[in-house]
Amino acid sequence: MTDLKTVWKSQEMEGNAMTSLAEVRARAARFQTGIRWRNVALYAYSAISILVSLRLIARGAFPDMRYPIMLTVIAHLLVLWQVNRRITARGLPGDVAGQPALDFHRQQLERQAHGLSRAWLWYMLPMLVPFLWELGIMLNRIQSGQAGPESARILAVFVGVAVLFWTAVLLAFSRAAIRTQLQIERLNALKAE
Amino acid sequence: MTQDEHYLRAMAEFGPALARLARTYEADADQRRDLLQDVHLALWRSFAGFAGQCSLRTWVYRVAHNVAISTRLRRRKARLVSLEALDELAAPDDPEGAVGNAHLLARLQTLIRRLTPPDDQVMLLYLEDLDAASIAEITGLSAGAVATRIHRIKQLLSRRFLEGEAS
Repeated sequence: MTDLKTVWKSQEMEGNAMTSLAEVRARAARFQTGIRWRNVALYAYSAISILVSLRLIARGAFPDMRYPIMLTVIAHLLVLWQVNRRITARGLPGDVAGQPALDFHRQQLERQAHGLSRAWLWYMLPMLVPFLWELGIMLNRIQSGQAGPESARILAVFVGVAVLFWTAVLLAFSRAAIRTQLQIERLNALKAE
Repeated sequence: MTQDEHYLRAMAEFGPALARLARTYEADADQRRDLLQDVHLALWRSFAGFAGQCSLRTWVYRVAHNVAISTRLRRRKARLVSLEALDELAAPDDPEGAVGNAHLLARLQTLIRRLTPPDDQVMLLYLEDLDAASIAEITGLSAGAVATRIHRIKQLLSRRFLEGEAS
């Protein structure tokens, strides 16, 4: 009768592992470089957003939108900071060796669940406040006759698309949070065995 | 010992086991290579903080399985099942009397890939010939829970692989 453990250990190996310290160091360097470039890209995006917004304010392009635009810049920075903070921990956590697999797995899921369940707070709310402010200004313009009926139709489409988009985002975050929470509960039950 | 020395010793002792782990978790050759390289990188980095908190074997397997968990969480493609559920499922793709170790290994790897954590980890470590106490230390399950799983694994393997061979 076949000894499965012997067969298991006798399987042929492929020569695709890093075999030297030089290769490991090179990959470690590439890993760090990748993180640096991602950070550069994130900060460049925020820098461009800020510059464009500040230019609009300085040129007086939309005088009554000045404060909502400033708030949008702050919102972008806030979201950027949050995304960066949450993604940074996703690489190779420092405690990857310090914990048994079950605890590590649960910790990873809890971090995900925490971020997902509060997405409305750190992802949606900062953008929603300046959006509603701008909306209020545009409605006021229409009501006071500063903008024509065509603007009202464009605004209605714009609001409809925004509502659909944010509802879809919220539902996606909520579904993912529920799925993650179920996995955490399953691991908790295993831990209690 | 330095970080480099720990890493080289770990590779000498557990390099083949890590390659088997990557081969089991990833069917695709490119993804398998990426996972194995991620494990190597994580191990080398982790040895900067290794001060004999546990045995070298426990440390290496914890890092490897935790990196594999992170990878699987990012991908989340396949629908996974528990050991009990897998045991109850029919195996239409398992022809009785199949011959050859390569075929047997491929079936074993497919079987483990379908399992949810930590059942997949327990089976992998069982096949690597670790005892229940060591598996408990690596996975974080209680010794009793590991013993129960090993019992089920033995039954499952016996039904899936050994009975077919005997007939």
